[in-house]
Amino acid sequence: MEIDNEILEHMRNPYNYGRIDEASSIGIGENPQNGEKVIIYINVDESDSEATISQIAFEAIACMTTVVAGSVITKEADGLTFSKVEELIAVTLGMLEHVDPEQAACSEMVAVALKAAIDGYLLSKEKGEKQTLIYKIEQSCSPQMEYSKQEERE
Amino acid sequence: MKQLFIKTHEVWLVTLMASFMSKNSETKQSLNDFSDILFRHFTWLERELIKSGVEYDYNRDSVPIKVDSLRVILDNIVERLNTMELMLPNVTDDALRFRIQTDWEYMKYQIGNLADEEVTAFSAKREYKDFNLSNEATDALTLFLFEESYKEYELIMIYNYLKANSNDDYLNKIFQILIDESFFHLKSFGQMMAEMGILAVPRVIHESIYKVESLEEFLKDGIDEELAAKEQCKELSDAVVKEAKELAKFFDFINYQENYHIALMQDALRHFEEKGAE
Repeated sequence: MEIDNEILEHMRNPYNYGRIDEASSIGIGENPQNGEKVIIYINVDESDSEATISQIAFEAIACMTTVVAGSVITKEADGLTFSKVEELIAVTLGMLEHVDPEQAACSEMVAVALKAAIDGYLLSKEKGEKQTLIYKIEQSCSPQMEYSKQEERE
Repeated sequence: MKQLFIKTHEVWLVTLMASFMSKNSETKQSLNDFSDILFRHFTWLERELIKSGVEYDYNRDSVPIKVDSLRVILDNIVERLNTMELMLPNVTDDALRFRIQTDWEYMKYQIGNLADEEVTAFSAKREYKDFNLSNEATDALTLFLFEESYKEYELIMIYNYLKANSNDDYLNKIFQILIDESFFHLKSFGQMMAEMGILAVPRVIHESIYKVESLEEFLKDGIDEELAAKEQCKELSDAVVKEAKELAKFFDFINYQENYHIALMQDALRHFEEKGAE
């Protein structure tokens, strides 16, 4: 990873690092090869016509490159409508082909965690109970879905 | 008491970071000693929580430390201790409460007398001593220091949690050695980060990392991680050996220290397996 002052600031003080207690939705991105994980917490505002991320936080059980990716991507996603978040995820995943595989896996893990958080939110609404989704990363960048129902954090 | 435990964790880290920021050897030593004492308070409070059957974790708020003047962070430490005083009556053990209170009083007095200094630990200059490192070597060193300072903090917290929640004396002796070793590494890396102008507080650790489901798996994975850390040290040493022989020697030294950590973890694993077989 080439480090400039902007990257250094993300390393030193990652945006949105931490968790949201009682989050509207939690999504997990996981690398099945090494067990690394990204957990994204979102709060959602539905007062307008489309659901919007009103608050976002992430935790990384992973390397510093993943932390930087989490900082950059969650900063971008904060305040976006779900459709804009979907665009952000698509753009991020689309860019991974041009990045070295290790760095690609880190960014992919964040992107799929974000996808899991918004999909989990929509699914929770549909099912009437909280759903936490875990998406595993793949070389192909298409998330493999795995269901897990998780009780809300006390 | 849980809140006091969390705040003690935070003030320990702030004091440790302040010790890295100072360039005055006496100030640095005082802050370093105080941070060690605050960490001990943290472990004693943890013991009280366990004795009282209170559920706890190592979650905490992020601790901002970016300052231009040492006095600002010193005042912040004193302010934190003053706020924590209001929580002290929740400590029911009289001896512990008295001990913490008197330690804080002395710390506040001493910190109040420390001279101000200009802080350059956040300058982002990314130069170490007089070494003329290439951009590639500088990036590798920067990334290594961020990764490994977090890793050492993580190891301190993991072994501390395991030790606090285990009654196995044999394992606990090993965990204590590994805690002491990680403290040395964390302090070495933190000092280098401050000198390079890239000082940062390690991020909060997710509880699944220290609340391990299987000690056996944890030790096996830990041995693999130590092997990977050795490899990283070797790569870094090779990357800087031409431009900075002293730095290369330091990373070799850290690399060789990892051998003993691996041996200790293998010993812990053997003990655990034998105990399980009994």
